[in-house]
Amino acid sequence: MADFLTSTHRAKWIFTPQQLVEKYRDASQRAIQTLEKCGATLMEVDSDGTMSYPEPQNSVKDNAEKHSRSKPLSIEEEQSIKVFYENKLQEVCKNFHFPHKIQATALIYFKRFYLHWSVMEHQPKHIMLTCIYAACKIEENHVSAEELGKGISQDHQMILNNEMIVYQSLEFDLIVYAPYRSLEGFMDDMEDFCNASEDQLQMLKRLQDTARLEIDKMMLTDAPLLFPPAQLALAALRSSVALHQVIDFDSYLSSLFSRQNSTHTMSELIEALNTIDSLVMKYKFPSDKELKHINRKLKSCWGQSSHDEGKKREKKSKHKSKKSSSEAHNAPPPA
Amino acid sequence: MSIAAPGQLNVNESPSWGSRSVDCFEKLEQIGEGTYGQVYMAKEIKTGEIVALKKIRMDNEREGFPITAIREIKILKKLHHENVIKLKEIVTSPGPEKDEQGRPDGNKYKGGIYMVFEYMDHDLTGLADRPGMRFTVPQIKCYMRQLLTGLHYCHVNQVLHRDIKGSNLLIDNEGNLKLADFGLARSFSNDHNANLTNRVITLWYRPPELLLGTTKYGPAVDMWSVGCIFAELLHGKPIFPGKDEPEQLNKIFELCGAPDEVNWPGVSKTPWYNQFKPTRPMKRRLREVFRHFDRHALELLERMLTLDPAQRITAKDALDAEYFWTDPLPCDPKSLPKYESSHEFQTKKKRQQQRQNEEMAKRQKMQHPQQHTRLPPIQQPGQHAQMRSGPNQNLHGSQPQVAAGPSHHYGKPRGPSGGPGRYPPSGNPGGGYNHPNRGGQGGGGYGSGPYPPQGRGAPYGSSGMPGGGPRGGGGSGYGVGAPTYPQQGGPYGGSGTGRGSNMMGGNRNQQYGWQQ
Repeated sequence: MADFLTSTHRAKWIFTPQQLVEKYRDASQRAIQTLEKCGATLMEVDSDGTMSYPEPQNSVKDNAEKHSRSKPLSIEEEQSIKVFYENKLQEVCKNFHFPHKIQATALIYFKRFYLHWSVMEHQPKHIMLTCIYAACKIEENHVSAEELGKGISQDHQMILNNEMIVYQSLEFDLIVYAPYRSLEGFMDDMEDFCNASEDQLQMLKRLQDTARLEIDKMMLTDAPLLFPPAQLALAALRSSVALHQVIDFDSYLSSLFSRQNSTHTMSELIEALNTIDSLVMKYKFPSDKELKHINRKLKSCWGQSSHDEGKKREKKSKHKSKKSSSEAHNAPPPA
Repeated sequence: MSIAAPGQLNVNESPSWGSRSVDCFEKLEQIGEGTYGQVYMAKEIKTGEIVALKKIRMDNEREGFPITAIREIKILKKLHHENVIKLKEIVTSPGPEKDEQGRPDGNKYKGGIYMVFEYMDHDLTGLADRPGMRFTVPQIKCYMRQLLTGLHYCHVNQVLHRDIKGSNLLIDNEGNLKLADFGLARSFSNDHNANLTNRVITLWYRPPELLLGTTKYGPAVDMWSVGCIFAELLHGKPIFPGKDEPEQLNKIFELCGAPDEVNWPGVSKTPWYNQFKPTRPMKRRLREVFRHFDRHALELLERMLTLDPAQRITAKDALDAEYFWTDPLPCDPKSLPKYESSHEFQTKKKRQQQRQNEEMAKRQKMQHPQQHTRLPPIQQPGQHAQMRSGPNQNLHGSQPQVAAGPSHHYGKPRGPSGGPGRYPPSGNPGGGYNHPNRGGQGGGGYGSGPYPPQGRGAPYGSSGMPGGGPRGGGGSGYGVGAPTYPQQGGPYGGSGTGRGSNMMGGNRNQQYGWQQ
C-alpha cells in the first residue's frame, strides 16, 4: 500500500460527501445555464481534446416554443443515468472477458469524469466506452478502438474523439487503485491469521469470492470516491464474513490494528465500514419506466428531437456497422 | 458563473481542474525534435521557472493518444525520486498552433498536449562529448552511483526503463543525474511471466537475451545497458557499436564470449539461438581488452556484462560493489564543476547565428571529409528520411563546431581556459538536449524520439570540427590526453559521431506500440 499512500488517487480523488454534492451541483448548474442560453447542452469534442458548446440559437423566437420544452435533468435523474451506464460498463467488460482490474479502472474513470461534467454535456454511452478503452490502454491489456466499437456495434471514432477529453478530465491521473487487489492482500493476511488448514483454505476461498461480489456492488456506488480501496475491501470482507459466519471478524480487525500503525482509530474505521455498507444498501437501480422518462428528457437536452432519432434509427438499420451519418460528420479525417 | 469550455477559458488562468494551457509558458527555443514530438525549452510566465516542454504528437495515431505517452505519464506520475526526471504537469494547447513565422503548424489538429519537465542542462552523452571533456574517476563513480540508485528505485517499483543510454541520462549543473525518457518503459511483474516485446532498447545498449529473441525478461535488461554505459565512460567510446542485430550480437560475443549451456543455462532455448549462435568458438576477452581499467571497475563491469541475465548483477548489488566503496570515492554531485549555464537564450541564439555564418564560410573552404564510420545505418526501412537541416538544429549544431575550432587546446584537461569565447571549459554549452554528436537524437532525454540514422550527426556536427576528424585528433574524446585512460578517444577524435542510435527509428509508436 505504500504505493497508494503516495498516489494521486489518495491525494486528489478521495472526497467528502459534501464535496461530491458540490461537484455534482456545479456540473448540473453549468449544463442548465447552457440549456437556457443555447437551447441544448451536448458538447462537441474532438480527438485533440478541443470542445465546444452548442451555438446559441439565433432564431430564438422561432425555436422558443420548442426549447421551452427541454427540461434539464435533476441531479437525482443524472444519478440514475450514471447508474444505468455503470451497469452497462460492467456488462460490456464481462462480455469482453476483461480482467476485473480493467472494469474497476474504467468505472473509476467514469465516476471521476462525471465529477466534472453533467450527463447533459457528454453522452454517457460514449464516455463509458471511452473509459473502457482508456482502462485497457492503461492496464496494458490492449483492445483496439475498432474492436471495442465492433463488439457493441458502435462507431469507434466516437471513442477516439472522446479519449482526450477523458484524460483531461481525469487530469491525467491514470493510475487508480481498485479494492480487488487490497482484498487479495487481506486474504493472504487472513490465511496467516487463522493459520489456515486445508479445510479453512477452502472456506477462505469462498469468503473471497463473496467479498469480490460485494466489491462489485460497491463499485456502482459513490463509495470509491469517498473511501480508500483498503477500506472498501475490508467492508466487503466483513459482509462476506457475516454471510458465512466463519471467522471472528472483530478479533481479526483488532489483530490488524495491533500489527499496524494506523492513522485511524478502530471506531473510525468501523464507522467508515458502516457508511460503505449503507451506501450499498441504499443503492437502487432505476426502473425501466423511470429510465425511459429520463432518457427522453436527456435527448431533448442534447438537442436530439424525436424526429432526428427516428431518422438515425432508420439509417442504422440500413447499414448496421457503418458509421451513423451524424457521427461520421464530426469525425476528423482518418489518420 | 462562466460556461466557457476549458478550451475557451481565459488561457492564462488555470481552470480549477483539468490541464493548464501551454500559454502559461513562453517557448524560448526548440531543443529537440523527433517523431514523438518537439521538445522546447520554455519559461513559466508566472514564475520565470525554466522547464522543458515535450509535445506529444497526436496525428497519425490510429489508436488515439499514443501508448508510449500514456506509459510515460503513468510511470512518471508514480515515480518520485531524485534520480528520476520529474514530470511537473501536463498542459494542453487549446487553439490552432502557429510556428514561429505565424503559419499554422503542419499538424492538422487544432490542439496539442505537452508534458512539462524540470529543465536539465545536459545529458551524459552530450557532456562526455564536449571537446576537452575528461571525467575524473570520482565523477564517473558519482554518475554511475546516481544512475544505479535511480534504476534501483525504478526496479523496486517494478518499472523497466528499457531505453537506458547516455542521452537519456540528464545532468543538471548541480551534478545531479536523472533517468529520463520513459517512453519505452513499462511495469513488470516479478515472475517475468508476461510476454514483453524484445524490440526495445537502443541497439548498442541492447542485451544479448533480447537480441536472441527472449520475450520474458526483467530488470537485468537495464543492467546490461548500464554496463555498456559504464564501459563507455571508462573506455571513451561505445563498446558495442553494431550496425544491425547480427553484428550487434557478434560484437557482444567477441568481447563477452559465446554463450553456451554452461555459462548461460537455457540459452539454446532462446528463439533465435540457432540462427545467431557463433560458428566458431569465442572466448571471453573482457578482462583482456579492458585490462587497463581499475581492478574494482573491471570486477563490476564483468558482473554487469554477464551474458546470462539470471547471473547479471542487480542494481542493488552493484551499489554495494567494492568499486563505490574504495578510494577514490564517488564525489559529491555538488562538488562537480558547473558547465556553462544554458539560460541565456537570446544572446546565445545571436551568437550561434553569427558562428553559424562563420562556419558556413569555413566549410566551403575546407571540404571536410565526411565522418561516417560511426554512423549506424538505417535499420527500419519505413522511416522517413528527414535530414537534420532545419534552422533549429543549426542553431544548436553550430556552437560546438566553433568552440572546438582551431584554437582549441586538444587534450588539455578541463580548465578555465580551455576554449575561446565565453565558455572556457568547452565548446558545447548547448550540450544538454540537442547535442550535435548524437545528431538525430535530438532532444535526448526528454525523449523527443530518435531520428532516422541518416539524419544523425550532420557531417560537421561532431565536436571535433573543424579541427576534428581523422587528423584533428578531436578535442572531445573522453580519454584524450588522459594518463589514466590510455585508450584514446577513438580514431575520429570526436568521440561523438552518431552515438547511441536508437534503432527504434521513427515509427516507434506504431511499430512497438501495442506489443508489450
